[in-house]
Amino acid sequence: MAKKEEILNVLKSFRDKGYDHLEMVSCVDRIKENKFEIVYILSSYGENETVILKTAISRENPQIPSAIPVFENAEPYERELHELFGIDFEGHPRLTPLLLERKYKIPPFRKDFDTRKYVKEVFDEIPFIEDKK
Amino acid sequence: MDRNKISKWLKEPDKMSGKYSLWALYFCTGCGIIEVPPVLTSRWDAERFGVIPVATPRQANLFLITGYVSVKTLRAIIRSYEQMPEPKYVVGFGSCPINGGMYWDSYNTIKHLDKYIPVDGWIAGCPPRPEAIFVAVTHLWTLIDKGMAKGYVKYREKYELYRRNQEKVLGTLEWPPLFPIKDDGK
Ligand code: SF4
Repeated sequence: MAKKEEILNVLKSFRDKGYDHLEMVSCVDRIKENKFEIVYILSSYGENETVILKTAISRENPQIPSAIPVFENAEPYERELHELFGIDFEGHPRLTPLLLERKYKIPPFRKDFDTRKYVKEVFDEIPFIEDKK
Repeated sequence: MDRNKISKWLKEPDKMSGKYSLWALYFCTGCGIIEVPPVLTSRWDAERFGVIPVATPRQANLFLITGYVSVKTLRAIIRSYEQMPEPKYVVGFGSCPINGGMYWDSYNTIKHLDKYIPVDGWIAGCPPRPEAIFVAVTHLWTLIDKGMAKGYVKYREKYELYRRNQEKVLGTLEWPPLFPIKDDGK
């Protein structure tokens, strides 16, 4: 667990120690604790080891510095998290849509997004096209 | 060759030639596409049934939708379908295009493909076996023979409704209507 403000420094120190490959950035929605857990998975080619870094940010104001200054390949992962969880990465150059086609009021991977209600409201509402009798 | 059929063929050459030259569009969506390469290659050899894969929709007349259709894929499917020359046939492959399958409560897959484009036949299964494709193809022959595979005619007739459904789920469509839309004040 690292503090949100220090995440860049922590990432940098790990990178300088040889964990030079950011495998992915991921997120867990801890809705009971009202937190998002951001997970960074680093690995090292030389040592063949993996390190998992976690940090927690509040659900109301989900902001965290972007990891792009340290690992450039964080770009698509952060874009994806922005789209699916609504997390704001400060300093990210383009938080534009990546995978989704429709706009969602609540980002769809948050736990309070009710997929069944959404399906009922959107897809089930579309009428079938009947054959001529 | 079955000589008894010759007179029938001569009466309706379009059906005979349509039946035995199904050109399947190489369009991959969902996990069912895993079943298609063995069907097209030597193990099951779809060419025995006159099914050949082609690369572009403008040469194809059989459209296999091989799995779940996400909203983004639907856009590509509609574009490809509208480019295909008539007569064209659509077969939904797997339970996902039929009613959502295991993605029935997903936020991002459309559940019923036939709300957006006309579908002539369905193959159930998750995913169906390759043999099921041949059952579907032979069934499609029967439908063509009886003049029942008329999805493309339905598309032409009900184009307004289809387009309205497509716009409901995709928002704006950036291509012009394929057929003129009669403005009936709705
Ligand atoms: S029917 Fe099954 S195999 Fe086919 S796309 Fe859906 S989940 Fe995948």
